[in-house]
Amino acid sequence: MQSPDSSIIRLEGVHKWFGNNHVLRGIDLALNLGEVQVIVGPSGSGKSTLLRCVNLLETPTLGRVTFEGRDITDIRTDLNEVRTHIGIVFQAFNLFPHRTALQNLTLPLEKVLKLGSDEARERALEQLSRVKLEQKADAYPGQLSGGQQQRVAIARALAMQPRLMLFDEVTSALDPELVGEVLQVMKDLATEGMTMMVVTHEMGFAREVGTRMVFVDGGVIVEEGDPREMFASPRSERLKQFFSQIL
Amino acid sequence: MSGALPRPQEGLDGPPDTRGPTAPVPGSIFALGWLALGLVILGTIAIILVHAQRSGPISQLCVDQKIEPRAEGARGVCSIVESALSRQETFVLLAGIAVGVLAMVGGFSRYRSMPSRRQREHCIAGAVLGIQAAALAALMLLFRGGQVGAFASNFLNLSYVSGRIGDFASAARITLTLAFTGEIGGIVIGLFLSMLALSSRRVVRAPARAYINFFRGTPLIWQLAFAYFGVALGLDVGVISPLVIAWAVFSLNTGAYAAEVFRAGLQSIERGQIEAARSLGMSYGQAMRYAIVPQAVRRVIPPLMNEFVILIKDTSLITVMGLVASQRELYSVGRDIYSATYNATPFLMSAMGYLVVTLPLIRLVNAIEKRLRSGLVSIAGAS
Repeated sequence: MQSPDSSIIRLEGVHKWFGNNHVLRGIDLALNLGEVQVIVGPSGSGKSTLLRCVNLLETPTLGRVTFEGRDITDIRTDLNEVRTHIGIVFQAFNLFPHRTALQNLTLPLEKVLKLGSDEARERALEQLSRVKLEQKADAYPGQLSGGQQQRVAIARALAMQPRLMLFDEVTSALDPELVGEVLQVMKDLATEGMTMMVVTHEMGFAREVGTRMVFVDGGVIVEEGDPREMFASPRSERLKQFFSQIL
Repeated sequence: MSGALPRPQEGLDGPPDTRGPTAPVPGSIFALGWLALGLVILGTIAIILVHAQRSGPISQLCVDQKIEPRAEGARGVCSIVESALSRQETFVLLAGIAVGVLAMVGGFSRYRSMPSRRQREHCIAGAVLGIQAAALAALMLLFRGGQVGAFASNFLNLSYVSGRIGDFASAARITLTLAFTGEIGGIVIGLFLSMLALSSRRVVRAPARAYINFFRGTPLIWQLAFAYFGVALGLDVGVISPLVIAWAVFSLNTGAYAAEVFRAGLQSIERGQIEAARSLGMSYGQAMRYAIVPQAVRRVIPPLMNEFVILIKDTSLITVMGLVASQRELYSVGRDIYSATYNATPFLMSAMGYLVVTLPLIRLVNAIEKRLRSGLVSIAGAS
């Protein structure tokens, strides 16, 4: 399988229907190694569905998704193996409430990557200290603040050593004063060169950290380009309208 | 009262007690209520115990109440009748009514003027206890005017059960063993079935649904009779104890109900949990095993324990299988003694046997449910 270009992920002609609801109407998108792609758009525009098509949490009704040159929409692909290379962080954290922060990290390391318990523990603690939560290793998710839970969720994804990280509105469920600590972790990650795809309403983050911005509305990509340029001079009417509503 | 508002005390664990101090007036009404109830209940028990010491031939009073002097247990029944109709009992009941009414009138007339919550609650509690005591005493007075002798002979002839305590004990053991092993078998079958019933593939789902609907749709008594007479005896599969057949049927039947409980429990886990697990590369089976099932199990403990309480009572249905004496559970033992004596006291003994087990279990279920409702931290922290 030869990759035709340097993109780590590529979506071609992706459509998604939920029943009769046509949510994605032909998405073509590519993401290069080391890029931080920010996806913005009004609510209901299909941006979360688009992100979830990347690791096939949603199966596209039509179209193709390739990861490192492999067609992962092919039904014969081992999705479990592909997903170990793609980390995802959710709006609702989705930590396992019956396991401690540390156990949330070690579980997939032991069961999926088949690491020994010592090695898994070591790697997990390393990631927890990366998000500055090593002292909360033995706390249950219910004992952590929203911001702390989301940082544990990021650490859990990072412990798998993914080649691509997806962020699905990860600060939307947080109290305003907790948003900063999560964004900081994401900024650090971008600085270290992680390839990221970020669905967000945080325009400051999009402008500062994004290397590319995609504006989605009505299930299609309306405009894409350099975030700073797009903020400075939006070309389409719809993007102008979107900015005027949120800024 | 001074104008200063109460403040939380330093160095104390927990919130301050803001219900206010106790005071003599509502305290005495509260005590009066308890006194009335204690008089009626404990007084009656004491009088019965005193009369139970008597021996010798039964009195004229009992003969007048149509108690056959030479009947089995006549002396014991007579003691109960004597105590129920005694002057001491009349005094206890009338005194209970008087004190109860006093507590009621005192409590209800004063509770609104009490300055603190604790005092108001004491007033109300005293009044309610007084009502209960007066009502109970009035009922007992009414009852004394009826056929006390016939009632006592039929329901309280302890001579029919006193020699059979051992039978009841071994019957209770059979009831509990059947219910417990049946529940375990049902949980194993139910967990497996619920996984099949949740499959996205119709060909996997259909047989599980058929099984569940069959066992939920036919009476347990039919299942027991059919399995024993129809299958075990009808097909002559060899000498199998009816208790083993009963255990199998209880497991199969409970399995159908437990499957529905597990299915509801598994479906109650947020979608994000399976998405998170699958996104980390876990297979469907791994996600269920490590992420979903452990959470669902905690949520289904209360409904499964309810099923267990139901099963304890349903074990009585094996009586249709025609058991020999050593195989009888609580209900059958009571009914057997009834058949031999035409006296209902053993029935009451059976009920006591069930309640001894089910009441603590019901309390335990409620306690666990309360704990689970109090939040995720305590669920997770329990492990």
